Amino acid sequence: MKIPYLIVLSVSFTFATVGTPKLSPEASVAMQKELEDVARVGSVMVDGDVCQKIVTEQAKGFLFVTVPRDRFLAGDNYDVDDAAFNTVKKTLIRLSHLASFPADVNLWMPIERHPGKIQLVIRNRNEMSQFWNWGELYGDMDPQMETVLKTGQRVTVTNKPGWISVLAPVYNSLGDVVGLIETVSQIKVDAHENVK
Amino acid sequence: MRRLQARFVFSFLMAMYSQVLFAADLEALPGFLRSDPFGAIVAPDRSGADLASTLYDAQHRIMLTGSRGGYVSFHLVVKLPLPGLYTLDVKISDPTNKVQIDLFREWFHLTDSDKHYYPDALIPVHSTYSSRLPEPDNRIPQQTAQAFWVDVYIAPDAHPGTLSGSATLKAGTKMMTLPIQVTVLASVIPKEDVVTIDHNSYGSSWLAQQFAASYQRNPDHWFESDQFFGLIHAYHRVFYEHRGIFHQLGYGHSGKVGPEFAPVLDGSGKRKHITNWSLYDRHYGPLLDGTAFSPSRRGPRPIPFVYLPINPEWPASYEFWGEAGYEAEFVNVVSEMERHFREKRWTQTNFEVFFNHKKRYKGFPWDGDEVRFPKDLKYFNEYGRLLKEALPADTPVHFLFRADVSWDMEQQFKVLDGVVKLWCAGGGILSFYKDAPKMLRNRGDVIWYYGGPPSVTDSSAAITEFPLRAWLWGVNGYVHWLTVSPGEDPWFHFDGGQTALVYSGERFGLTEPIPSIRLKIQRNCLQDLAVLDSLKGRKSLDSLRAEAARRYNDSSLDDWWNPRPALADLPSDQWLGSAIDDATRHTQQALQHPAASAAHKVHQYALSLQAEAK
Repeated sequence: MKIPYLIVLSVSFTFATVGTPKLSPEASVAMQKELEDVARVGSVMVDGDVCQKIVTEQAKGFLFVTVPRDRFLAGDNYDVDDAAFNTVKKTLIRLSHLASFPADVNLWMPIERHPGKIQLVIRNRNEMSQFWNWGELYGDMDPQMETVLKTGQRVTVTNKPGWISVLAPVYNSLGDVVGLIETVSQIKVDAHENVK
Repeated sequence: MRRLQARFVFSFLMAMYSQVLFAADLEALPGFLRSDPFGAIVAPDRSGADLASTLYDAQHRIMLTGSRGGYVSFHLVVKLPLPGLYTLDVKISDPTNKVQIDLFREWFHLTDSDKHYYPDALIPVHSTYSSRLPEPDNRIPQQTAQAFWVDVYIAPDAHPGTLSGSATLKAGTKMMTLPIQVTVLASVIPKEDVVTIDHNSYGSSWLAQQFAASYQRNPDHWFESDQFFGLIHAYHRVFYEHRGIFHQLGYGHSGKVGPEFAPVLDGSGKRKHITNWSLYDRHYGPLLDGTAFSPSRRGPRPIPFVYLPINPEWPASYEFWGEAGYEAEFVNVVSEMERHFREKRWTQTNFEVFFNHKKRYKGFPWDGDEVRFPKDLKYFNEYGRLLKEALPADTPVHFLFRADVSWDMEQQFKVLDGVVKLWCAGGGILSFYKDAPKMLRNRGDVIWYYGGPPSVTDSSAAITEFPLRAWLWGVNGYVHWLTVSPGEDPWFHFDGGQTALVYSGERFGLTEPIPSIRLKIQRNCLQDLAVLDSLKGRKSLDSLRAEAARRYNDSSLDDWWNPRPALADLPSDQWLGSAIDDATRHTQQALQHPAASAAHKVHQYALSLQAEAK
C-alpha cells in the first residue's frame, strides 16, 4: 500500500515541480530537426581515434572490479587522458552551439570485452542526458544505442516526456563505429536540476 | 440493574482516570540522555543513564548553571501511562528578560534500520504547550511519553546570580511542578568560536521539495521569489544561531550553475562580461553585509565564508581551455566580480574559489575534489595563475583558493603552497600527518577537515567528536559534507539523518527550517570548546586539550592520531580505500562509540575551570 502511494506522490511531485512539458508539435519537430542536424555534423566532426584514447588503461582495468571493503574502487581509479578528453570535449561544445536552444552533446563509448555495457565518457554544461543515471560509471546499453553502434544509423529517442535525444555514430580512421554522440535537449529546461 | 451497571462503569472509569492522573509524571533529563516515546532512555544513550538524576538537587529542583552569552539545555519528559490531555508550562522569572526559555517538542523518528524511535527534529512551541498523548501528528501507537528540549538562553549582558523558575505539568485536575534554579555565572562564553563548524549543501532544488507547499503557490517564479531567498537566509540563520556556518555549492559536476549563485554573463572571448547582478545580490547581499542575521540573538554579521560559482566551465567556457580566450573570459569576469564586491564593501567574507568536480562524473578530465592523480595538480597551478592575474594585488576583497583533499594531500600541501590557502582535508588521511595543521597554519593557511553527521542511532555524544577532534588536532574547522537532506520521509521512515542536521518546518506550519537535538548538542560542545580555549592564558593549551580528551573518553592526545602508514610513501594513485581503513584502525578503535556523557564531562571540566577563575 505504501509503495504505490509513494510512487504516486513522487510522480505527482515531479510533474508539479517541473510542470508537464508542453510545446506545440511544430516547435517540437523543429527542435528535433535541429538536434538531428547537430548529430549528423557531429558524426563527421568527432574523431573516433581520439575518443578511443580518452579512458586510461588503469580506469578500464578497475571498471568492473568489485571489492566489498572498497566500494568506490572503480570510481577512485577512473582516469582519463586529459589531452584527448579536452580535444573531444571542445568539439562537442562547439557542436552544441549549432542548436538555437540549450543543448548538450555527450560522448558514449562501448566497453571492450563487455558486450551490452556502455559508458558515458564526456558530459557538458547543461548536464542533460536521457540515458545517464547520475553518478554511474557505466550502465546497460539501451537497445537504441546498440542499433546505432551496430548499424551506424542515427536514432531519435523521446522515451522520457519532454526530452529529445538524437544518437549518432562516431567513427575512427578504420571506418569502425567506436562510439556514439547523444545530442540532447529538453522542451522545458530545469535551471536547478543537477546543480549538485 | 441498568442503573447499577452504569454506576459500575462510571466508578471504573473514574478509578482509571485517577490512576492516569496519579501516574502522570514530569521528568528532567540531561541533554545527552534522549527519551523514547515510552519514557525509556534510547539504547545508544544508556551508557550515561547513571547520570539521569544529575540535574536535581536534594529538594528535587532542576539545577542549571551557565555562562553568559550562551545556552544551558536539558530535556523535559511528560509521561502519561494512558491516553489523555496535558499542558506543560516552563518559565524563568527574569524581569530583565535576559534569560529566556526556548521550548521545543521533540519529534520521534521511526528509523528504517532498527525500527526504533529516536527523538531528533525540534519543533518550536510556546513555553505553555497543550496537547495529548499519544501526540496526534507523531502517530505512535501506545505512546506514553513526550519529550521536550529546553534551551535556557543567557544573554551576554545578563546579571550574574540566581534565577528561579518552574516546569509545571497539568493533566486533568492533577498538577505537578518541578522548580528550576538557574545560576548565571559572571563568565561570558567567547563570541568567536575556536573551530568553525560548516554545514554543507549542494544547489537549491531540495528547497522546493522540502517546502513544497510554498513552492506550489508560485511554481513558475518561486526560485526568484522573496520566499525563496528568505528561506536560504533562514538556513544560514539556523546554523549561525547554533554557532555554525552554512555553505551552498551553486554548480554541478559538469559546470551547470544555478541562476541564483552567479551573476548573468553575456558575450564570448574578450567581450564576455557581467550584465546582471540582480539574483546574486538578492541571494548574497544580506549574507555578505550581515543583515540576514539581524533577527538572530547573535546579531548581524557577514558570513565568514562563501563558495564562488567559479568552476572549469564558469565564467570561462571550457571550449577555450588553454587558449587566450579562456584567460580573457576568466580574468575579465573575475575582475568585475572583485570590483563589485569591493564597491559593495563585502570585505569581511572569504570568497572561495573551489573546484568540486570529479572526473568520474564525466564533466572534466581532472579531479578538482580529492585529487588522486598527481598529474591533475597542474590545473590548480593554472587557476592560481589566472586568479592572481584577475585580482588587484591590494584588493580588500578576500578571494581564497580552496582545495578539498584526501589521497594526495601531503603532496598537495607542498606543490600548491602559496596557491591554495584553504584546505579541507579528509579526516582519516589527515590523521596520518600530525604535523600538518601546525605547518599549514604557520604559513597562514586555513585547515579544516571533513566528514558527515552521525546517525541518530549513535550515542548522543557522537556529534561532539567532530568539533572536539578539530580542537584537539589544532585545525581551524570541520565540515559536515551534507546537512540538509533528511531523506524522503524523515518523519516515519527515517534513514538515520547522516545527511541532515536540520529539517523543514513546513509540516508544522513554519516557513523556516527547524533544528535537531544533534545540532543543539554540537552547539553546546562548541560553547565549551570556546570557553576551554579562552583559558589557555592560565593553563597551557596542551594541558587543556589533554584533560578534555581524558574526560571525554579516557583517551590521550596521541589516541586521536594514527601512525604514518607505509602506504603514505606510495604514489597516491596506488592507494586502496581498504588500506586506508586499515591504517586508521587505531583511531577507529580508540574513539568509537563515545559514551553518551562524554561531552558532558568536558562541559563539567570547563565549568570547573571557570569556577577556579572566579
